[in-house]
Amino acid sequence: MSDTPGPSEEVDLHARDPEWFREHVQSFQFWFEAVEGYLGGLDHGRPPEIPEAPLSGIERARLVTALCNYCVGETAALEGAGGLIRIAPNRETKIFLSTQTVDEGRHLEVLIHRLRELGVEDPEAEIRARAAPALLAFKDRLLDLVARGDWEAALFAQNVILESMEFAVFQNHARTADPRTHEVLMRIVKDERRHIGFGENELGRRLRAEPSLRTRLHPVRQELDRLVIAAFDEGGAGSGASPREREEITRAYLHAVKRLGFE
Amino acid sequence: MKGDEEATGGSTEVGERRRYELDDQGFDEVPKKYRKFYRRWKGPGDELAPNEIFCPVCRIVIRSPREIRPGDRIYCMACMTRLRAVRGPDGRIVAEVEYT
Repeated sequence: MSDTPGPSEEVDLHARDPEWFREHVQSFQFWFEAVEGYLGGLDHGRPPEIPEAPLSGIERARLVTALCNYCVGETAALEGAGGLIRIAPNRETKIFLSTQTVDEGRHLEVLIHRLRELGVEDPEAEIRARAAPALLAFKDRLLDLVARGDWEAALFAQNVILESMEFAVFQNHARTADPRTHEVLMRIVKDERRHIGFGENELGRRLRAEPSLRTRLHPVRQELDRLVIAAFDEGGAGSGASPREREEITRAYLHAVKRLGFE
Repeated sequence: MKGDEEATGGSTEVGERRRYELDDQGFDEVPKKYRKFYRRWKGPGDELAPNEIFCPVCRIVIRSPREIRPGDRIYCMACMTRLRAVRGPDGRIVAEVEYT
């Protein structure tokens, strides 16, 4: 690297060397300095002083179903990111995936804690009872791609499809959520920015070098698109999203796949 | 600054670039020393200054200490993306992802 990373107030970040940028943002050092800005001083992913808002029975049931399905998605991402470390092509991506694995573990923990705050005594049993079958099928398919060592397909499934949908669903849900859930979700969204960016950039570089990869990934996309959309419908993951909000949620994902050159 | 000409390759603008003093606007998703280069997108009514550009990947605003022109390289640290400023179909300067 020609540049040395440093905190000079005078430096124009955008004039830095691209190699420095890529290695720096994928480092544990960067991750640590980034997350301490928004995770310090929290109690299970939210400021401790946020009061519990009263919820009606229907509102609580809908929230519990959504959170249970978020837990399925986060478990898939946790196991997926951890498994991807083994097949990642270089040191930088392995290190980044180690930070993503930590993020996903945190997400699962704070969502389980939120379920307990809502009076769910056995979160594991509740998740099993409320999980959308399509989301479970997506998880199985993702972990199968990881187990088979298919780096591009697994990365596409996890960091483009799953993470894009989570990013959009959590942002949308946070807009109308009770204050505690809002705080928890918005901090998960901050982590998700890194995950979607990593997936799109890593896959984009691969597709640029090997355009025929699009053809190979096309059936993966078709199969997993269908599962994610079905999961959205089955699991209440949209938490009562209106048709306009649903359109907005899928738009972010569709823009990402369009930028990657998929029809 | 390193490579001013390099970073402005393809620019159709003329004249000296305006310079901007960046301030921390509370964007807490990147290390403290880089916060001033970013801010949150406030929605459809949010107007971008000549030294600002929208990240199409993670939907935040990226800021530069100088006026942004077509050809400039821009980094989004929040989603770890390298972008290039280009003139969009409507004449506005937008960011495109560089997958290299």
